[in-house]
Amino acid sequence: MNEQLPKNDSPKPYMNPYLAGVLLGLTLLASYLILGAGLGASGGIARLSAWVEGCILPSHTKSSEYFGAWGGKPLNYYLVFMLAGVFLGGLFSAVLARRVKSQVERGRRTSRRLRVALALIGGVLAGFASRLAQGCTSGQALSGSAMLLSGSLVFLICVFAGGYAAAWLVRRQWHD
Amino acid sequence: MIETFFGNNALAGSTAMLAALAIGLAFGFALERAGFGSSRRLAGIFYLRDMAVLKVMFTAVIVAMLGLLYARGLGWIDAEQLFFMPSIYGAQIAGGLILGVGFVVGAWCPGTAAVGLASGRWDAAVFLGGTVLGSILFNEMFGLLKGLYAWGDSGVQFAWQSLGMSAASFAAIFVLVAIGCFWGAEYIERRVAGTGVYWRSPFLKAFSVAMVVLAVGLLAIDGGSPTTEKPTPHAPSEAALLAQIAEAKDHMEPEELADRIMAAEAGLFLVDIRPAEEFEAFNIRGAVNIEMAGLPAALAPYKNRGLIVLYSNGMTHPAQARDALARMGYANVYMLTDGLEGFRERVLKPASLRTEPLSIKQTAQINSWRHYFMGDAKAPAATPVAQLPLSLPTSPKLPGLVEPAWLAGNLGKKDVRVLDVRQQPLYNTAHIQGSVCVSPEHFRGVVGGVSSMLLPSDVLARHMSLLGIRPTDTVVIVPDDKPHDATLVSMAFARLGHSRYGILNGGFARWTAEKHAVTKDLPAVEPSDYPIGSPDRFTVDYRQVREHLDRKDTVIIDVRPTEFYTGQKIEEARGGHIPGAKNRPYTEDVTTVGGVTLLRSIDDLANAYARLIPSKDMKVIVHCRTGHQASQTFFVIRNLLGYSNVLWYDGGWSEWSARSELPAVQEKGGK
Repeated sequence: MNEQLPKNDSPKPYMNPYLAGVLLGLTLLASYLILGAGLGASGGIARLSAWVEGCILPSHTKSSEYFGAWGGKPLNYYLVFMLAGVFLGGLFSAVLARRVKSQVERGRRTSRRLRVALALIGGVLAGFASRLAQGCTSGQALSGSAMLLSGSLVFLICVFAGGYAAAWLVRRQWHD
Repeated sequence: MIETFFGNNALAGSTAMLAALAIGLAFGFALERAGFGSSRRLAGIFYLRDMAVLKVMFTAVIVAMLGLLYARGLGWIDAEQLFFMPSIYGAQIAGGLILGVGFVVGAWCPGTAAVGLASGRWDAAVFLGGTVLGSILFNEMFGLLKGLYAWGDSGVQFAWQSLGMSAASFAAIFVLVAIGCFWGAEYIERRVAGTGVYWRSPFLKAFSVAMVVLAVGLLAIDGGSPTTEKPTPHAPSEAALLAQIAEAKDHMEPEELADRIMAAEAGLFLVDIRPAEEFEAFNIRGAVNIEMAGLPAALAPYKNRGLIVLYSNGMTHPAQARDALARMGYANVYMLTDGLEGFRERVLKPASLRTEPLSIKQTAQINSWRHYFMGDAKAPAATPVAQLPLSLPTSPKLPGLVEPAWLAGNLGKKDVRVLDVRQQPLYNTAHIQGSVCVSPEHFRGVVGGVSSMLLPSDVLARHMSLLGIRPTDTVVIVPDDKPHDATLVSMAFARLGHSRYGILNGGFARWTAEKHAVTKDLPAVEPSDYPIGSPDRFTVDYRQVREHLDRKDTVIIDVRPTEFYTGQKIEEARGGHIPGAKNRPYTEDVTTVGGVTLLRSIDDLANAYARLIPSKDMKVIVHCRTGHQASQTFFVIRNLLGYSNVLWYDGGWSEWSARSELPAVQEKGGK
């Protein structure tokens, strides 16, 4: 577990990444063997988005081509529950490891405004892309690759290609 | 055998929601443990200072991959229990690239941002807000994006299949690549950030060896068979369907429906949801009548498979039904624009009554619609394209034919038994869940010195007991491409007086063509005690046949191929046929449509036999060489066409020809 004795109030060190990977892999396997489908996060967010848009523009959303197909109760979906679980599971673990800390994570020489702006832009891109590809890092890259699905492996490669291509442009948000 | 919520079609139920919540808890816990509640750590991979993302993700992928392949290889789970996402290369490449940019810019991805939020990161909250905006943006732009969304849709594709190798060997290579990446990642961290604490550590060495051992183990359990077996692809994929629905706005125009029905489009399922009496009075040709309440049960086999079109008089009821079905996860339900009224107005209305000017072509089109849907003889016919439509889940009239869709919906019921009469190697590779492999020859033997005779009922009863069949069971017999194999077995049930037996219409080929589930598992069979009963009344021997020679009230039908009937070909003691027998080769009662061999339509068969047999209560004796082929004709005319007095001369030409005292006719030119 790579655990040293930490001071009482300092965050505990992270778990050995390979063991964390095994834990994550077994969770994914359990998802396949129990649900019959893999893990997913953006699916839940998309349902949430449909609900949000439905609260603001009910008739428009209901008649829209993409969200409209989910009917009047878009939150009634297993991935919404999974997303809630991810939040709660993360909270549980973070509290145990004393890693909950209210902050905008960024480089020391980076303004909070830049970091927040980039997080927003990144979020819009990721939300949009995950609908286009019907999945995100969880649903496509992780779950699909574990099934050795060709398209998901291609997706995984493209995620890193896109990431490395744009990394230089946004490097300043981590300047210390 | 593991059954999943997806496999049981229960992913929308409340238990599945709770299971998803529990799995989400473990998922979030694992992500947080890995340190993915920190955007700095996540972004590290793109600046080569912290490669945790690669290590955790790649480990998770190979662990789950190995687990899945072991579960499949050891037969714990069937492919049908798993949801396989289609490969839609265009959308996945574009989506992957954009997501990658979003990942490095925002330094979160959707799942990790949820964990980040739980860890108090405000940038994660903003990122999540962005994903909601991005999803809404996608919804608003969907009209423009439909093409890209379905671009390169190739159905379910596996990387190992594309490379022409087995899953296990691909997995082994994949594990080696992963280990290479792990060591590379540690080395890079060491050089760039001075960390890489697992570089050459005993832990990473042991971990690498463990993964290789697991991969080799997989090769070992997989070694016996070249696993090119593929799970049933989910075609057409959901993406394509959604795009289709989006484009057609889930309405189907009357003209389009008419053309699709006339083209005998495979997978088109037209449902009339009006009350039965209205349906009886008039319906669109090809429609089945299912009232609203019965839709979920009746349509279950067609969920997201093929195309379901609903209609009523107007639009209200179909729209309500469509919405309800959409909420149950149906993405392939359409409704007929303007309902039956629209169909009458736009398709069936005669050209002469239409006010708009019509071209010659349009008039011809209207005439051909009217000819097809109303039997309007004045309108010239169009040539229909031969393609087998999806079967309907209609209850079978037994003894008779059983539709695959009905069987799929009733499989697993205790009183529904399936006998697979294909060859054993075929059965071993794939068969219907719960079916028993039994050769047609199992029910025949030497009786009274004549070989290949259907066994006496006491022996048959004993066989049925071993098969665990009870007299009240519904027995479905599944042939390969020879319906007469199934009909021969059906003779055993007829002899025992069993009332509920049927033959799978289109056999195993149609079952798989309709993508119903198959398995390799042996069925559970509990022996029963089948009663013997009294002798049957339809089997006749040569003496009874001789008594019926030259009688006006009896038709003898010889179902052998014509060259044997005429005597041009001889495989018996003598060539030729029984005096007065008519020849109707059994092969003329079957047809092959789209690679599926099945009995011809009832209408065709009724017409053909009406020409041979003057009335339905006349005595008909059918025979062939050994009783096998004649069992098919027997089944057709007695069970499907309702002739009441059909007799079966089991001994057939092989016995008749060998009894030299019996008369025979050989046509001129015969040997």
